[in-house]
Amino acid sequence: MRRVIVQSALLSALAAYTAFAAGPFLWIAIMSFRTTSEISAAPYALPDTFHWWKYPEAWFNSNYETYFWNSTQVMVISVTVLSVLGAMAAHCLARYKFPGNRIVFFLIFSSIILPPQITIIGVFQLLVEYGLYNSLVGLTLVYISMQLPLTVYILEGFFARLPQDLFDAARMDGYSDFEIFWRITLPIGMPAIATTVVLNMIYIWNEFLFAVVLLSDDSKRTLPLGIQRFLGDHLEDTGMLATGLMIAVIPIIVVYVFFSEKMIQGMTAGAVK
Amino acid sequence: MEIRLEQVSKDFDSVRVIEDLELLVHDGEMIALLGPSGCGKTTTLFMICGIHTVTAGRVLFGDRDVTHVPPQERNVGVVFQSYALYPHLAVAENIAFPLRIRKEAKEDVEHKVRKIAATLHIDSLLTRRPGQLSGGQQQRVALARALVRDPAVLLLDEPLANLDTGLRLEMRSELRRIQQATGSTAILVTHDQAEAMSMCDRIALMNEGQIEQIATPSEIYVRPRNKFVASFIGSPPIAFCSGAVSENMFKGPGFKFELPERLQAAAIKPDSAVTLGIRPEALQPGLDIPVSGMIAFVEPQGRETLYGLQLPDGNMLRSVQAGGSRFKLGEHVRWGLDRESLLFFDPDGSGI
Repeated sequence: MRRVIVQSALLSALAAYTAFAAGPFLWIAIMSFRTTSEISAAPYALPDTFHWWKYPEAWFNSNYETYFWNSTQVMVISVTVLSVLGAMAAHCLARYKFPGNRIVFFLIFSSIILPPQITIIGVFQLLVEYGLYNSLVGLTLVYISMQLPLTVYILEGFFARLPQDLFDAARMDGYSDFEIFWRITLPIGMPAIATTVVLNMIYIWNEFLFAVVLLSDDSKRTLPLGIQRFLGDHLEDTGMLATGLMIAVIPIIVVYVFFSEKMIQGMTAGAVK
Repeated sequence: MEIRLEQVSKDFDSVRVIEDLELLVHDGEMIALLGPSGCGKTTTLFMICGIHTVTAGRVLFGDRDVTHVPPQERNVGVVFQSYALYPHLAVAENIAFPLRIRKEAKEDVEHKVRKIAATLHIDSLLTRRPGQLSGGQQQRVALARALVRDPAVLLLDEPLANLDTGLRLEMRSELRRIQQATGSTAILVTHDQAEAMSMCDRIALMNEGQIEQIATPSEIYVRPRNKFVASFIGSPPIAFCSGAVSENMFKGPGFKFELPERLQAAAIKPDSAVTLGIRPEALQPGLDIPVSGMIAFVEPQGRETLYGLQLPDGNMLRSVQAGGSRFKLGEHVRWGLDRESLLFFDPDGSGI
């Protein structure tokens, strides 16, 4: 009897949380198939007819292709560099004893607590001076430097828990330091790396503040800035905004589903005993 | 391959853990580094394979000085206590791992893996992951990986410590069989004297970073160099009682006897204090040097029984006797000592 009460309480709490988290998303998803006039007439109604045409419309009528491609480039390059560089740094900090190891780690770690707003003026000035303002290269560099501390922190924590014997064994088996990183740390650390990949992808795909400050040309804009364009100066096209948001969010959901599967696989396979 | 340690010392953060260690392991020999935990036996092993650097002294493999040779180039096979199998690789890949780096031909690698797997009876496990294996199977895989590339030296760090009792006994003789079959020079680190005694040609008993004695298992048991060796080796342990020697007679608490011949020759100073070491099998009913006391504990062990004999002065001796318990707790008995297997130590603990 008590179990039933506990279970039902737990279930209703979960249901409430799901509604809270997924409700707005569903609402936007429904709106993405309705026109702005339909939405203003009845904001919460289900679509009478599904206006599928809104998707190609949003894509082709507002440079979405460019924004999407820009965002993809920035994200893929940033996440790749972050994963490789972050994993290397974490491997060294977790595995090698050298003077100042903990100082370096603390310096990297302490920059996590700085809110990004603090650095934005300095970053802006730097990029202007180096001719990287209004360029995707500049934005990519900023994203890498913003996310590297957290990436190193998460990976270091995971790598440090790998048994030292594995590395000694690989050394005895004749492998060099770099090969040990490549053939032991990376594959065994995959679950942790997948975690940072997902975190970084979501952050970079959705990032608005730095993008809006550091980019000015329409042809350089990333998706979050592109969506902003639907919030016109005079007229707010709510229906198209919802469609634009859905297009932007679909890739990240696909990526998340794919990687979370990997993450869970890695964790349950008992990768590290 | 002969292994020689010359005056080897090791500091960890300015704390000296190994001091001027000398060790010679003959080609094809299996030697045990035995000692209590923290005595430096694993550190010594790791210096031989190169995982730890050497603070002072030299490590030689044959005539080759490997003191500063990186571990990758020493051609040493190590079985770690934790086995250290690569969790992301199948058993076959784990075993092949040391060969892959040597750019050997695919067929050669496959052939060697199959051969060593057959020797170790793990050929049916080659496609599994380490996480799916039992402790004993993991142990064999670790051994296969260490042996597959024909190492000059095989180092075993407490290889049996994580196995359950039955398997441990089986793997003891198995390890010895494999070592003899491959003819490799092997060093076994262990804190289990039974393991060291039953598997190795010689035992190096370590304590506090130094080797107390290097000898064959029977020699180290019959002629321990000092009190530490005598008390560490032997189970149930040896008992000590102090006494004095004068005119070739040993006077102990409540008993005295004439010294065995080899000690008479040693010419012990008159009236000097001497500690007597009595192994449990040296105290038996009906032997010629009478010792009286009260039975303080009785521990039947099936095939034999362990008694504690309390002497009038409170000293406790132990006696192992074949068969079930024939004496009762609290009973006063008069047993005897076997003169020839008694051990004598001078006041600083060295054997006489």
